[in-house]
This record gives sequence, structure tokens and C-alpha cells, in this order.
Amino acid sequence: MSHKAVRSSHRTGLLALAAGVFALANAAFAADPIKIGVTVAQSPPGSVIQGTQVLDALQVAQKIINDAGGVLGRPIELVVEDTQGLPEKARAAVEKLITRDKVVAITGEHQSSNVLAGMEVAHHYHIPYMNVNGWADAIRAKGYIEEFNPGNYSTRTAVAMADTMKLLGAKRVVALAENTDYGIGAAKSLGEQLKIAAPEIKFSYETLDRTAKDFSPVILSLKANPPDAIVEMMLPPAAYLALNQLYEQGVAPTAKTWLYDGSGLADYPDFWQNVQEAAKGMIVFGLYHPKMAMPPLGKQVAAAYTAKTHNEPNRLLAQSADSLFLLAEAIKAAKSTDADAMIKALEAIKWEGTRGVVTFSTEAGYKYHQWIEIPYITFQITAVKQPIADTRLVQDPGQPLDVSKLEKPAK
Amino acid sequence: MLLIDLTVNGLIIGLFYALMAIGLSLIFGILRIVNFAHGEFYMIGAYAYTLIALFFGISPWLTLPCAFIAGMALGWATERLLMRPLYSGYASWGVMKDEYAVIITFALSLLLINLVDKVIGPNGYRGPSLVATTRVEIGPFMASGHRLMAAGIALLVLIAVGLFVRYSYWGRQIQAVAQNRLGASLAGIDTAKASSIVFALSGGLAALAGALLSPIINATPDVGAFPAVKSYVIVVLGGMGSIPGAAVASLILGVLESFGAVYISYGYRDTFGLVILILVLLFRPHGLFGERSREV
Repeated sequence: MSHKAVRSSHRTGLLALAAGVFALANAAFAADPIKIGVTVAQSPPGSVIQGTQVLDALQVAQKIINDAGGVLGRPIELVVEDTQGLPEKARAAVEKLITRDKVVAITGEHQSSNVLAGMEVAHHYHIPYMNVNGWADAIRAKGYIEEFNPGNYSTRTAVAMADTMKLLGAKRVVALAENTDYGIGAAKSLGEQLKIAAPEIKFSYETLDRTAKDFSPVILSLKANPPDAIVEMMLPPAAYLALNQLYEQGVAPTAKTWLYDGSGLADYPDFWQNVQEAAKGMIVFGLYHPKMAMPPLGKQVAAAYTAKTHNEPNRLLAQSADSLFLLAEAIKAAKSTDADAMIKALEAIKWEGTRGVVTFSTEAGYKYHQWIEIPYITFQITAVKQPIADTRLVQDPGQPLDVSKLEKPAK
Repeated sequence: MLLIDLTVNGLIIGLFYALMAIGLSLIFGILRIVNFAHGEFYMIGAYAYTLIALFFGISPWLTLPCAFIAGMALGWATERLLMRPLYSGYASWGVMKDEYAVIITFALSLLLINLVDKVIGPNGYRGPSLVATTRVEIGPFMASGHRLMAAGIALLVLIAVGLFVRYSYWGRQIQAVAQNRLGASLAGIDTAKASSIVFALSGGLAALAGALLSPIINATPDVGAFPAVKSYVIVVLGGMGSIPGAAVASLILGVLESFGAVYISYGYRDTFGLVILILVLLFRPHGLFGERSREV
């Protein structure tokens, strides 16, 4: 064999080796993703609207991460399980994701009862659990080291509501709370915060079945003795029915009674499909408003979400995206998917997400592993079918509520 | 004032319950079939009314009959395709396989819920109101114009169904089949056709209830669970197959729930009907208006 032929053969061999290494590297990137478990409601009786928003947002965040090269050179893969909004299914879903799919962390959950069920399993297997939207303080109070909360919490809402009720000059406030960990927890929390912020206000709450369709008896009792404000602490579809029935019976919003939405209903995509006149005049506790100042990542995520879904951005978008980004940041900081290393990294994290700089408190109680200073706003709906962007912003993040901007119905 | 409000509200809710339950009562009492898909007939009516009106811009007054027809078609198809094998070739109901009806209607219920969930989506839709007036004040009583109109229509429909079953040609044949299927067959009555009519009527009435209530109870894939549970309580309470019984039981249940929710506890609202159901089964198992025995 001539030298020339040998050189050519060597060159071909090197090329083949390089191609092989490149192919193997690619195959490794494609075949060895970091698996993140996602539990969301994709079918009734859970809130499928929320589940869809969360999943879309997680996929937006996943694409941003993977387009930037993944985490530690590996792509993020989402393994999704449907919970139907049922705690027993949520528990089973987390079990399956951890034992069958070998996920390194869990996120996506958007209902408190399901978080409380799912986090028990994550705690048992010692797997990081990023709660997207479970507001119940009880979640944090468990003190599980694996569980982190970049979303809202009941006490935060309760403090905001108590301040608002005080500024509105209400003497008697009634909450309509759904019979779930979220609803009952939120109502109790509001009661406690009112005792601190405005002890002169008389507060009571009615627990309503979230599967019920007719709330007339409770509403008729309120009609006989109307309070100064009614606080709604329910999720769709029951929340929509309650709002419509409050309006039909002339209970709220009226010249006598304010209506306050403590559940962030107004940015649900089917809100105006289900509630019309009943929402005019409603004051809303919000975690997102287009007029809010947002960090660059928030703007990027919002644009990608609108391009993907053709829907307006919403509060769940930011919370969900941040959840996945935070897990990715934890893996990066820990340089591994080891649970202890990720948890340690999350406890020490200081990272600018879609809504601001996220840090997690280690103080026991409802603050445990919670982003305490989560930004919120208050706005009022002043017309039927009003886009969020056109609603009246009456409280900016970190600012006191401007009561003079609020409008009360004439009758 | 609260007493008047609660009574009127209870009676209105009772009328809605009656419209939901009467179709089930017909099937249960006359054909002796447990129809677990009854709530989904209601759901189909709610969607038919809402989506046709919203997407085609048709007046809700014209959409209402569309919902009734959709429910009738579904009821008729259910009987012809799924129920016929139940008694095909048999002259007596005695040899029917009850478990077949339970399984097949339960499967139909799940199929319809999931089909609607996947095809239309999980989002709720609020039906358009029949009247534009959002609030009507009559003395101390206040309700939406649609609620009052729907209650009025429900009352008229209940009377019409009662008259149809009692006096019409096909109504008498249905009564004959209910009393003795073999005897009716020997007398030349087309029992299969009577069964089809009962199922179609039942489907139509449930769908009409769904349509009338869709502006009050938004259409969602699982909206049928609520009317189905109430209907079973009402059918047993009123007496199986008794239309007046179902109507009276519905009104009793509506008023009882209305008062109980305020004066006892809202949390136990659905329990009141179930407690009454247990008491009726213990002390008057044939219901308020049911017959003690139908055997000949």
C-alpha cells in the first residue's frame, strides 16, 4: 500500500471517528435529557383551564432553556401526568413520575389540595418539588425541605385583602370560600389578617361546595343582611356561577356591597365567556397586569407564550415558567441533578425571573421555602368584556391602594 | 322577606329539577332501565343550545327546539343502537339483564363526557338568556329575567308531558307497556316503538332542561353529574314512573334544600335529599305517588 493510500485511509478513519464522536455526542444530548415531572389537571373535575395555562407556560420555558443549549449540556424533558384535579390522582401521578420515569424534580401543580397530596410522595422519595400555584399556607407550614414556592400564598393575599377592606371602610365582610384546602385556608387566613389590620371589621365566611351549581340559599341570606364587601375565594366553574348568582339577586356589586375577587379569576381565558354584567365593578387581587413593570425574561416569556397560544399572558404563565427556570438554575448551580445539591442551591438562590429577583425564605411556618416578596397588584373591572390591559389599576406593586380610583355602582 | 325569597327560589329550583327528572322517571318507571347517561343527555342539550346560539348567532328562542331535537335524536339512537339488544327477542322484561343496561349506559356516559371534553374543550360556556332583562324585581323578590322565563317554560313543558302521556294515542300505549309489556304486545301495541318514543322523549326533556339552565349553570363536560344525582333522588321519592310524583318530589326537594341550606347548614344541602330518600325507602319504598305493585 502506498504512503498516499495510507494517509488517505488514516484521514478517512479520522473523519469517521470524528463523525462517530459527533453523532454520539448528539445522541447523548437527545437520549439523555433531564426529566422533570409535571402534574397538571388535563381533564375534569380539575381546573383544566389552569392546567392548560401551566403546561403551555412550562413548554415555553422548556423551549427557551433548550434553545439556549439545555442545562449542563442536556435538554430538559417534561414528563406530564394528568391529575384531574383530584388529590388521590396527584399522589399517584407523583409516585409514577418518580418511580417509573425517574424524574429529578416535580413541578406544575396548581391546586393546593393536590400539592398537599403530591408533596408527601416527593418528600418520601426526597425529590425537589416546585409548587406552581398552591396558595394554601398549610403547604409551607409542613416544613418539607424538598418543597419550594415561587407562587402566591394565602397570607400574602389575605394581607392585601385585609388592607383593602380597611381602606374601603368596610364594617362587615363575608367571604365565599370553596370547600378545599385553598378556599378554607384563604378564608381563615383573611380572618386572621383582619384581626391584625382592622379588628373593628366583623368577618365571617361561608364554605361552598365547589361542585355545586346553585348557591341561591347562601346568596339570599346575604341579600337579607347585605355586608359591606363580599370576598370571592373560589375557582371556576363554581366561581363563575356564584358571581352570576350574586349579581342576579342584586347582592353584589351594588352601591352597598363591594365585590372582591381574591382568586385571580379575571385573567382566565373563559372568564368573559361565563361572566358578563356580574363582573362590572369587581375589585380584583392580581399577580399580573400588562401595565406592571417586568424584567427582560418576563417580556421574553410573555412574547413566546402569545406566539405559541395566541392568548394574552397571565399570572400562571410567570409562576409556571419561573418554576422550571428555577429548577434549571438549581441544577446549573449544583452542577448535578442530585436532590440534596439542588435543594441546597435553591435555598441559596438569588435569581431574576419573570417577575423579579426570587429568593426563598428558610423561616419556619407559612414563609418556609417561599418567595416572600412576590409582587401583586389590585385592579377594578369597569366594563363588560374588558381586557385586563384596560382595567383600572388601583394599586401598583409595592404601593398602597388608591381608593379614590375605585368606582362603585349607582344602585 | 327571606322566607318569601327562599320559598320562591325553592319552587323555581324545584321546577328545574322536575324537568331534569321527568325523563329519567319515564325510562326508569316504564322501561325499567337504569339510565346512567341521563345527565349527559342534559349536557348535550346545554351545549347544543349554547354553541348553536353563540357560533351561528341564532336567536336562543330558535335554538331551544334545536336542543330538544338533539336530545331526542340522542335518546332515540341510544334506544335503537344500545338498548334494543336488551330485550330483543324477549317478550317479558323479567328476562332482561339489568347489568347490561347499567354497564352500557355508564359507558355511554363516560364516552360522551370525554368526547365533549376533547372535541369542544374543557372551558365552560354560558348560554344566552332568553330575555335581555338581567334583573327582575317583584316586590322583595329579585331574579334574572331568564330564570323566571325558564321556570315558566319548565312548568308548561311538565303540564304538556303529563297530558301527552295521559291522553294522547302514544301516551296510552306507553302506559300500557308500563303496566304489562307482554299484555300490550298481545293487544297489538308495538312495544319496541313505544320504547323508542320513551327514550327519545326522555332525551329531549333532559336536553331541554340543560338548554334552559345553561345561562344559569354554564355548560361544561361534567355538568350532567348534578342533574343525574338529583333526578335519581326525585324519581325514587316521587314513585317510579309517576310524572305527578316526580313533579311534586322536585318541588319538595327544591324548597327543602332552599330552607335547609339557610336554617341548618349550606354544607349539608345535598344531604337533605339523600336523607329523605333513605326515609322513603324505609317507610314508603314505592315513593309518594308510586304504585305498590305492577304484577298481573
